Amino acid sequence: MEGKKKRLLVLYASQTGNAMDVAERVGREAERGGCPSVEVQSMDHFDPNTLPSESTVIFVVSTTGQGDPPDTMKVFWRFLLKRNLGSSWLEGLHYAVFGLGDSGYQKYNFAAKKLDKRLQDLGAKPIIEKGLGDDQHPSGYEGALDPWLMSLWKTLNHVNSTILPEMSEILHPSMNKLEHPKFKIMYHASSEVVQHDTHISDLKDMKNMIERARSMSPSLHGHDHGEPHYLLKMVTNKQLSKGDDGRDVRQFVLEPLASVVEYQVGDVLEVLPGQNPAFVDAFIKRCKLDPDSYITIEPWSGERDAMDSYVNGSSDHPIQLRTFVSRAMDVASASPRRYFFEVMSYYASAEHEKEKLQFFASPEGRDDLYQYNQKEHRTVLEVLEDFPSVELPFEWLVQLVPPLKKRLFSISSSPLAHPNQVHLTVSVVSTMTPLKRRRYGLCSSWLASLDPNKNEEVLVPSWIHRGTLPPPPPMLPLILIGPGTGCAPFRAYIEERAMQNLVESTAPILFFFGCRNRDSDFLYQDFWLAHSSDDGILSEEKGGGFYVAFSREQERKVYVQHKIREQSARVWGLLNAGAAIYLAGSSTKMPADVTEALEEVVAKESGVSREAAARWLKTLEKAGRFNIETWS
Amino acid sequence: MALVLTDEVSLPLRVIRDLKSEGLNEEEAVVITQCGSLGGKLSFGDAFFGTVFVLLSKIDNLTDQWVSEISRVLKPGAQVLLQTLLVPDNQAKPSSQIERKLLISGFVDVQSTDGSQSVLVKGKKASWSTGSSFPLKKTAKVLPKIQLSDESDLIDEDSLLSEEDLKKPELPLVGDCEVGSTRKACKNCTCGRAEAEQKVEKLQLTAEQISNPQSACGNCGLGDAFRCGGCPYKGLPPFKLGEKVSFGGDFLAADI
Repeated sequence: MEGKKKRLLVLYASQTGNAMDVAERVGREAERGGCPSVEVQSMDHFDPNTLPSESTVIFVVSTTGQGDPPDTMKVFWRFLLKRNLGSSWLEGLHYAVFGLGDSGYQKYNFAAKKLDKRLQDLGAKPIIEKGLGDDQHPSGYEGALDPWLMSLWKTLNHVNSTILPEMSEILHPSMNKLEHPKFKIMYHASSEVVQHDTHISDLKDMKNMIERARSMSPSLHGHDHGEPHYLLKMVTNKQLSKGDDGRDVRQFVLEPLASVVEYQVGDVLEVLPGQNPAFVDAFIKRCKLDPDSYITIEPWSGERDAMDSYVNGSSDHPIQLRTFVSRAMDVASASPRRYFFEVMSYYASAEHEKEKLQFFASPEGRDDLYQYNQKEHRTVLEVLEDFPSVELPFEWLVQLVPPLKKRLFSISSSPLAHPNQVHLTVSVVSTMTPLKRRRYGLCSSWLASLDPNKNEEVLVPSWIHRGTLPPPPPMLPLILIGPGTGCAPFRAYIEERAMQNLVESTAPILFFFGCRNRDSDFLYQDFWLAHSSDDGILSEEKGGGFYVAFSREQERKVYVQHKIREQSARVWGLLNAGAAIYLAGSSTKMPADVTEALEEVVAKESGVSREAAARWLKTLEKAGRFNIETWS
Repeated sequence: MALVLTDEVSLPLRVIRDLKSEGLNEEEAVVITQCGSLGGKLSFGDAFFGTVFVLLSKIDNLTDQWVSEISRVLKPGAQVLLQTLLVPDNQAKPSSQIERKLLISGFVDVQSTDGSQSVLVKGKKASWSTGSSFPLKKTAKVLPKIQLSDESDLIDEDSLLSEEDLKKPELPLVGDCEVGSTRKACKNCTCGRAEAEQKVEKLQLTAEQISNPQSACGNCGLGDAFRCGGCPYKGLPPFKLGEKVSFGGDFLAADI
């Protein structure tokens, strides 16, 4: 195995966090068994090009309800499907697959099944047969995981005893022993700390401080893209939706303070949300921490190789504890994972709390934990308040509190139309839990709370990234389908093309929008109407069109797919002239319904069969002329 | 502006005169002879010409690449005319060969006129607003060709599934719906268990219960993790017995 990485890599693709839980358990057990080098990574942080250089990989993948792989697996999976990889590309790779699925669905564990077969076709060798976790089983996926894991370790150990030198620890785990945390916290006297680390005198300092705080977080695994590209100020915060059905869609206009923001249409803005200071303070108080202390985070023991992805040099720049909590630890939004409850049980002094926590962490308690924790969107702070006798050392909190995640938004402006501004179209997320508690999305509600006139000093740490939708050239005819907030990137495309149309000839655009009714959520109504009249680029005179499906204005539901069928001749005309299709919006059924409608249009207008039309659309997708960007 | 293209070395002037009778109305024309030496590329921008006329001595010189180039330089809705001399021993009908090439590249309104010595094939570049008039003639069942690069050529992932995989999955064996308190209702439950599981029994709290909460079981004040299914205080933060209950709350949207 020349040149192969001598480590056990656990790659997971998780949608709701279960696959991540399983992957982390696999990693922990391997470490308990003395495996010299273990790495657990999410598939979207792994470059598939490097897969042939691995020697041993365990894959943990969920399958969603529609039989699809999780979003974090899409890019990796697409790569693996390339015809030109060849049947010996993964020669020398030993692997095992564990899938999480639900046998109540026809497409049971499809992602894991396809992955297992494809890996073999590419030349990799399975260590053991794939394991299939089933939600329908009385103990959920553990029913399959427990025996599968045991079989995996035994087989690995049999093949090569150096992989798990302390195999007995796995076979007969010392029950009441909690392993030590992976990191230790060093406290530094404030006199030690250099001036520029404490004082934020300008934007540059602030960007640097954010980067230092987040690069120190082990849960962010150094995958954080460094300093924010921009610190943006909110200049407009406008509600686009009217009416009282509880939906709140906003237009945010953001401007950089001292630099120029550069981007192109199709790009996404990544935002680091601010946390309510009251919650940050409550967390610090509950955990009996000193907010003003200066800390650095080091690996528990120097020798471990598993720290290779960890950004080093942190010991040179201690950070204030409060800053670290506020910028890197999600204390009042994300729910903790099962392992958090397990570790809490070791630190509970009240007997009834200890019992409850042990129950939650057990296979038998999984359902109850799900009801209490995930379904109720319990936050770390709430959990700590519900178990007041638990005193968790900061080391464990750093390791187990979910990291504060950045959020991505499609940019809905064109720099040609709005130089030096970034526009966003955002729905403020709000859900009602089973116990009737209202939960808001952390980032969307934080942005919505920023008043341009009052909160001038509040800045939005942001990064610009290329989106999955490539910017279309001016002469490419476009068919855009974006109901609801799916219209966000298309406002950008249309603004851009309208500007280009002033100086050169452009191809037409067909735009299909959908909403409930024109009085409540007809987002950007005036904008679309302006461009679809007076020979505008959305006008029928110019070969384009703008069609809206109002779902609730009549007895039966009318959606974008109905409008597409109505305009089948126009859609075919543009497709036949080489148009590209872009589809955006919240996931679930819309993309499948629209694809079906498009297949019907192609079949009807060209005279071919439905199957041929479906195949043609699939080829269009592979060729990059049928792009789908969805979010939940 | 018109483009006159020929693979011949020279072009008889009467051809240009004949073109006028075909309805060629352009004021100016670019004439290119020996186009075979151009390597299939024209140095004009997109949608440049109002008409393209091609005089072919050999049909084989009309490659797919040439057809796309011609399409590229034509304005939308504009016409291409191709004329070729009939060769006596040529088996295949030259007009249908040319027609097919035009159709595959997305030309519309394709028609040919077969003369005794030559054939003339006309076609129009698709114009956006004439999509609905796409002719469904003889070769109608052809879809536009899509070029795939090496990188975008993917295998069909459904081919990775076996017969077994595609069958309806078997639900795990369960002895009795009542086994274990955590047994879930079936997906297509008919006994009412699913409904019971969905319903969250929540009794309304009275003013008295809020200002002076008491608990017979002793668990109500401990927080949701310890409360029973029917506890009226479910959903509220933990509280001390006898002290007024706060609604904790969703002050997430409050001022920062």
